[in-house]
Amino acid sequence: MSIRLLALIPVAAAISLALSAAVDAVALPLFLDTTGTILATALAGPGVGIATGVVTSAVNTLRNPTFWPFVVVQIIVALYAWAAARAGLFRSFRTAVPAGLGLGVIASVTSTPISYLVFGCTTTGGIALTTALGKALGLPPLGACFFGSFVSDFGDKAVTFALVTSVLHALPRRTAARFPWALRAIGAA
Amino acid sequence: MATIALGLAASRGLRPGLWPAVLTAAPFWLFLLLLHDVPTTIAIGLRITTMVASFVWLVATLEPARLVEAMIAAGWSASIAYLLAATLSAVPVLKARARRIVEAQRCRGLSPRGGIAARLRALRALALPLVLSALHEVDERALALETRGLVPGIRRTPLAPPPDPAVEQAARWALLLACLAALVRRLIVPRFI
Amino acid sequence: MRSLTLDHASFWYPATASPALRDVSLEVVQGEVVALVGALGAGASTLLLVAADLAPRVIGGRLAGTVARRDRSGIVLPTPWTQASGMAFTVWDEVAFGPANLGWPAHEITRQVDRALERLELVPLASRDPVTLSGGELQRVIIAAILAMDPGLVLFDEPAAELDAEGARTLWRLIRLLAKEGKAVLLATSALDAIPDVADRVVWLEDGAVRAVGTPDLLADVAACDAGLGTSVAMVWRASGLPEPYPLTVAHAVQRWR
Repeated sequence: MSIRLLALIPVAAAISLALSAAVDAVALPLFLDTTGTILATALAGPGVGIATGVVTSAVNTLRNPTFWPFVVVQIIVALYAWAAARAGLFRSFRTAVPAGLGLGVIASVTSTPISYLVFGCTTTGGIALTTALGKALGLPPLGACFFGSFVSDFGDKAVTFALVTSVLHALPRRTAARFPWALRAIGAA
Repeated sequence: MATIALGLAASRGLRPGLWPAVLTAAPFWLFLLLLHDVPTTIAIGLRITTMVASFVWLVATLEPARLVEAMIAAGWSASIAYLLAATLSAVPVLKARARRIVEAQRCRGLSPRGGIAARLRALRALALPLVLSALHEVDERALALETRGLVPGIRRTPLAPPPDPAVEQAARWALLLACLAALVRRLIVPRFI
Repeated sequence: MRSLTLDHASFWYPATASPALRDVSLEVVQGEVVALVGALGAGASTLLLVAADLAPRVIGGRLAGTVARRDRSGIVLPTPWTQASGMAFTVWDEVAFGPANLGWPAHEITRQVDRALERLELVPLASRDPVTLSGGELQRVIIAAILAMDPGLVLFDEPAAELDAEGARTLWRLIRLLAKEGKAVLLATSALDAIPDVADRVVWLEDGAVRAVGTPDLLADVAACDAGLGTSVAMVWRASGLPEPYPLTVAHAVQRWR
């Protein structure tokens, strides 16, 4: 792995972590904790993306150890972003947002078993509340859990994909040309 | 197990140790009660509390500097130690920059109030400059790393690694085995009952 | 003994049509200090990156011509924050970062680090966390960190940009000392007034090509002053309408006046 890609990973992971903290300022119920992972994959491929996801999870774990089992989700996100980048799905909002919605489904399918088995589905307040709602609606426990994480993941991943698309298009051509995957991801290669 | 973990966390002092452990674990108990019956709540709650408390203790005991050097002395590659350390030091910088961007935009009238569309626009106005400036720095960081000799595959000399007495090593192995045993008991033994 | 030789070197940044360096031929010998001067964007920083083997190897782009290096090089870049390793929590560890990566034995690292800290007058700051330092202090730490790696060819890109007057003076004295010890130094700076005391030779870059090479007296030439690259004394002399040749330093001007 070249030095430039090695230097990219901590920056991308820090982007995820900083945005997760900053999203309160815009009062939107989003996580954005996979922004860096998706961005790194779209710029430099799946290896760098997965590494970014793992590092993001590792640092999150230092602050709140309950995050560690979800490293699996970060890895799945990186793989999905890889497929999306190869297909050039970051070329416009029209292709990126549906791709993000698709990721939302996959992410919640992946995180639900983890959340359920390890935590009894109580990972964050929002998810727990929507799970309670699901239960009240008569869904079985696992289904309620899925409902809980689905509702938040759906929007979060779509917004993240849209954000990454904006960033990729805003990069000056010269800079984008030096990241191996960037141009392909926006369908310009 | 939970009592041991909480005890360890408390040994680090009330403020940095016990309090964060309790604070992090408390919401889980609340939501568990909301969703499950009492026995399940207690079982899962204790498990979570143990996890949280032991980690809080770990983080409070380990200074970041010694963590990095310990990793290198234990044989982790310098690149991996770099990834963790560089992320830890970059996060506060980016967070501070994010705060400055939000303030600057509030001065310019971009308010996070309003409908979803307005808030999404505000998010974009915050995230885009933050991410672009961070990406621009990647090149400079790469040059600096290269100049200081941090290239993949080097054998780095550890600087004052923390001492690793045999007792602690043995204790680590014992704990690892205990975890594995517990896992086996949970997953495999029920099949035979 | 030649430490660095560029032979008809040209360099294009990635995805850029016009070259940042055009047909540059330059030699730096051990024990000499060569200063690069020029307008902003003239190519001094690029030249240093090429000399440090960072261009095109790390930043991409295309290089034509040859670059020959005899010694290990170290480069000090202009912005201190991005040069911090991110892995050191004391100044001592930061300076030791490079030598540790070179795999030197612990006693050798200690020797080099202590020496570098002393030269940059950083001993009182040795246990401070680098993120708490000012720009000038951090820049001195970075310089110490590069020197601790004992490079034979030392490259500086605007090293005094963040330093105050006292810090800058210490730096220029240190650079002369490095040359005396046998190192080759290539320095890009806009601190033109310091050059007569620091540099043995001056290379004037314009649009990526070498416009002129000479001793520091170059900075009192009519052509250089016309381009805004004269020392303050020469520029003032010229602006006052006094006759050529323009004096380089205060001492020269005093001689002329007598």
